[in-house]
Parts: sequence; structure tokens; C-alpha cells
Amino acid sequence: MSYDVTIERCGQKALFDLKGALDAVSQWAGDALPSLPIRPNSRTEEDGIELFHIGRDHWITRAPLAQEDAIEARLKPTDCPADISIVRVSDTMTFFCIVGPDAGQVMSIACPMDLHDSVFRTDAVSYTEVFGLKALVMRCQDGIEFAVEQSFADMVEDYLIRATA
Amino acid sequence: MMNITCPFCGKRNESEFIHGGPVGAVRPDPNAVSDEEWVEYLTVTPNPLGPVQEKWWHARGCGEWFSIWRDTRTHDIVEAPDGTT
Ligand SMILES: [Zn+2]
Repeated sequence: MSYDVTIERCGQKALFDLKGALDAVSQWAGDALPSLPIRPNSRTEEDGIELFHIGRDHWITRAPLAQEDAIEARLKPTDCPADISIVRVSDTMTFFCIVGPDAGQVMSIACPMDLHDSVFRTDAVSYTEVFGLKALVMRCQDGIEFAVEQSFADMVEDYLIRATA
Repeated sequence: MMNITCPFCGKRNESEFIHGGPVGAVRPDPNAVSDEEWVEYLTVTPNPLGPVQEKWWHARGCGEWFSIWRDTRTHDIVEAPDGTT
């Protein structure tokens, strides 16, 4: 069975893991980040900086790699108060984009979540499984984007090629 | 396949979760109970025929730890029995 999809292994982006109470993280981040999304498993985006609310008191922010140093300089991870945690995780995750008419079909092989757009909305983001691995899944233009731990990236790329061959 | 409701994410496939064992008894004050009661607390795991409270970890999800009640006769996730939380 072949599928009408394009699989792209995306380049690295700036990623920071943010943990702590909403008020404490917001206060420390100040205007370095857009306002944090409050609804579980939702995301916001402003001026190319995205924020994903992926767990209780837990967010990930993503931005173009060129902004990594500037964001780090503003978030000051090593100086943050003890009740919050900010860690640069840019090189820990690899993103894949599955786009095209059959993107949903391919994702249904890999992922147990219902990713139909009536259920998994444009602003949805969530950790779930992709080929049995913990993966961060969200919608992108014309398809689905997901990230796995970077050490699994070659294997997942191979799975995707086999699943769509 | 079983769906488990995570307090953060809502209903998800059981494969995203890891079972964390039954919720044990509340730790008694070792100075206020008999040796038999203390040994029972340390060694006896709840294993009822019926509803049991279990810990689950949304490991391939949001990372939340929570507990549910599951009926060991039917495998169904059930409401907490009256008088429990
Ligand atoms: Zn969850």
C-alpha cells in the first residue's frame, strides 16, 4: 500500500522546557515569551515563538534556531528561582512533518490518538505514542508534525519509509 | 484495549500508560500499632475480588501520576466505592 504523503525530517529548532506554576513561570519569563497557554494540550504562537502546554505545570517553547541564544539570554535558565525549571532542550528532539492527503492514514498506523481535525484541533498538541515511542504530536500545514527523542530519529524515519512504501 | 482517563489529557489508549501497582494502605504510626499490624502494612498488597484502587503513570503522555478504581472481576474502570476517594 502506498500513500500520498511527503515526509520531511525537520531541522533543529530552539526548544526550552519550562516547569513550574503558571504565575511563577510567566513572571520569570516576562515579555521574553508570549502568554502561556492554559488549556491542557493546547498551544499558542506569537511572532514565531510557540508555546505548548504539555503537562501539569509544564510547557515547551519552540522558536527558530537563530533565536536560541537570544531567548536563552532572556530566560536566564541558570539564574531562575528554585520553584521553576528552565532547560534548553533544542538538541534532544527531532521533528518530522507528514503532509499530504494521506497524512492522517499514515499517522493512524503509528499513533493511537484520534487525530481527525474535529477532535484534534488546530491548536492541539500532546504527548502520545508514535510507533510505540513517546512523541509530541501536533497539527501543521496540510498534515501532522511530531517529535521523538533525537536518538530514535533514524529508526523512526526508517519506520515511516517502510509504513508508506 | 482499555481507555484510561488521565486527569490532564482526558481519555487515552492504555498503551500510553504504565501501571504503578495498587494504592497501599495509609502509613500507620509504627509506634502506635502492633508488630502484626506493622508487618501487614509493609508486606500485604491489596488484592480484592472487586474494586481496587490503582496508581497509573501517563508515561507516554503528560507524565501525570494518578489513581483509578478498577474492578478485578470485569477489568472495568469504576467509580470509587462509597466512603473512599
Ligand atoms: Zn496525561
